[in-house]
Amino acid sequence: MGPLIVYDIISQNTNLLLAFFIGIGFGFVLEQSGFSSSRKLAGMFYGYDTTVLKVFFTAAITAMLGMLFFSLFGWMDLDMVYVNPTYLTSAIIGGIIMGAGFILGGFCPGTSFCAAAIGKIDGMVFIGGLFIGILIFTEGYPLWESLYYAEFMGSPRINEILGLSQGVFGLFLIFAAFAMFWIGEWAEKKFPREIY
Amino acid sequence: MEKINPRILLALVIVPLGLIIAMVPENTTKPYKLTTEQLLQEVASGSQFVSPDEIAKMIVEQNPSLQLIDVRSPDEFDNYSLPGAVNIPLPEILSDEWRNILDQNIKINVFYSTGSVNANEAWMLTRQQGYHNNYVLQGGLNYWVEAIINPEPPSDLSPNEEFARYDFRRAAGQSLGGETIERTTEAPPAPALPAIRPRERTAVVQGGC
Repeated sequence: MGPLIVYDIISQNTNLLLAFFIGIGFGFVLEQSGFSSSRKLAGMFYGYDTTVLKVFFTAAITAMLGMLFFSLFGWMDLDMVYVNPTYLTSAIIGGIIMGAGFILGGFCPGTSFCAAAIGKIDGMVFIGGLFIGILIFTEGYPLWESLYYAEFMGSPRINEILGLSQGVFGLFLIFAAFAMFWIGEWAEKKFPREIY
Repeated sequence: MEKINPRILLALVIVPLGLIIAMVPENTTKPYKLTTEQLLQEVASGSQFVSPDEIAKMIVEQNPSLQLIDVRSPDEFDNYSLPGAVNIPLPEILSDEWRNILDQNIKINVFYSTGSVNANEAWMLTRQQGYHNNYVLQGGLNYWVEAIINPEPPSDLSPNEEFARYDFRRAAGQSLGGETIERTTEAPPAPALPAIRPRERTAVVQGGC
């Protein structure tokens, strides 16, 4: 009965060990999908390469289906899965900063470590910037603390807000994902780049 | 045989699974209820108790995750209650009306009663139902009044933490409706405040790309 860690089926340390191996697998898949190339990642914003969208959305709907079926079979209690609490204002501002950094730097935090791991200097520079950002945030924390905690919404789930069951929302998400894949591949043909 | 386009293959796997999951009813049975032995173990460990200092700190900070639940009768509740508390009398604790409040994963519910017996009973009942995030105010309102509203000053030889705690309690007590008393302690104000216990039994797994 999952989640394993919440029900003390595995210990915190085993959990960390599992996370370590899953993390290595995650990094390996990122690198294999070509995500250590900032041009490939930035292609998402210009339309010439939408691999990012396809890989992450495929992962998301696969994981979603897995969790929904696990819950259906009684293998996992979805109510016990940690949902990051929503602080709306900081989510929006953080999203803008993250997106801007993504376009400017060509990496998101995970992929920058991937790139650095295979010796790419731009990835290492990006990590440097990441730490500068962390330093500014933590040192200036009193300045934005109230903003950081504004608009607390608990841990809402989007299907509850829309009044749908989890499964129906899941099906809509799958259709939305396939529609986006289709638009993405159309964009790749529309804005092709030979070498990047 | 012609090779199937991987896009079609992916759609052929995922879409039917999505259709199935959309059509089956959600599994709402609580697969996890405590056995009597497990409940006994939890009761013995006392992990459900939250100290008045922690609660006072959360009230003063207006912590949005705190939900105080008064399990006394409505009359007693109208007479005196803690800030922001809702009244769920103990006999009604299992009624469907309150399920949304008691069975959730967003807020930290803290039961309180005059002593801690009724609140603890409420906690045991909800825990047996398999609900999480419910806690009990240690010592109930009696100890609350003793510790927060009218705290005893520590003796002169007490360690600094005692003075810090006393100062905090008096400050909190004043802002929560206690008597205003002049500051009399001479020890340097130590910044140490009692730490808030993190939400227990919640796996903190934060992801991101």
